Amino acid sequence: MFTGIQKLEKMLLVSVPSDLLDDDVIRMRRDILRAIREYDSDIVVLDFHLVDICDSFFGRFIYSTSKTVELMGARIIIAGLQDAVIETMVELGMTLPEVDVVIDLDEAMRLTRKRANGTSTDVITKIDEMANALSLEFDDNVFRA
Amino acid sequence: MSSELSVDEITAIETVNDVSAARRRGMTIALEMGFDRADATRIAVAISELARNIVVYANQGMIRITSDHNAEPPYIQVIASDNGPGIDDVDLAMTDHWTSSRGLGLGLSGSRRLMDDFNIETEVGRGTTITVTKWLK
Ligand SMILES: Nc1ncnc2c1ncn2[C@@H]1O[C@H](COP(=O)(O)OP(=O)(O)OP(=O)(O)O)[C@@H](O)[C@H]1O
Ligand SMILES: [Mg+2]
Repeated sequence: MFTGIQKLEKMLLVSVPSDLLDDDVIRMRRDILRAIREYDSDIVVLDFHLVDICDSFFGRFIYSTSKTVELMGARIIIAGLQDAVIETMVELGMTLPEVDVVIDLDEAMRLTRKRANGTSTDVITKIDEMANALSLEFDDNVFRA
Repeated sequence: MSSELSVDEITAIETVNDVSAARRRGMTIALEMGFDRADATRIAVAISELARNIVVYANQGMIRITSDHNAEPPYIQVIASDNGPGIDDVDLAMTDHWTSSRGLGLGLSGSRRLMDDFNIETEVGRGTTITVTKWLK
């Protein structure tokens, strides 16, 4: 199994390596799916804090992984995106419409617990809100999905 | 400033490993030249997009990274060239979300946004050369 996956209660914590090559992507997605099945996980947290370059291929990986994870009844949370990475993703024109983005692993934990208790989900942010919070300047039409 | 900060390097692009090496190198050069992390990341992502297009659409080509730290203002320039199929309709190819494969269609249009200058020369059946530049502010 891909060594970067840890289980924490109903959550899977995936440490995304800084340079993700095509084969790694496929292996990682397969390992995530296997782990969801094995542990009956509800939430998959992709920890991006090691990632310093996120291109459109990476964006496609996030999107397709979240779709597959959803099909298995779990949800993806993206944590730890560096400011420079968020900025470039926005400028590149990438949107992560159905993916929750939180600032760090603490926030991901908090969101997971709230969900488990059925209480509010107010910490959920989308990538564009995150960019707003960083007060970035950007072109509006960048966000058209 | 020392001339070590002016570089001229060519990376052959054939596999995704080459794409990764080229963008990493671009990031390093940009940071060494004094670009901040955000701009160095922009440069690296643009390299990644152009190099990946070479692998996907032209099979092989090269990325040339040049920088001149003594220029006023200093700049980093990336030339992505290949002898692949070329692009028939450049305006279409530059449109956000237009793709002939199964991509997001953001590589070219996004690279233009990320860099200060973007120039494309392409001829069907002959190949494509894309030059992008970022100036140090
Ligand atoms: N070097 C090239 N040679 C031939 N055609 C190219 C080249 N680069 C881009 N193209 C054409 O231009 C289109 C747009 O390229 P762009 O990089 O913007 O999007 P994409 O590669 O389709 O998707 P993405 O890069 O978002 O994954 C491509 O689908 C392809 O048809
Ligand atoms: Mg592309």
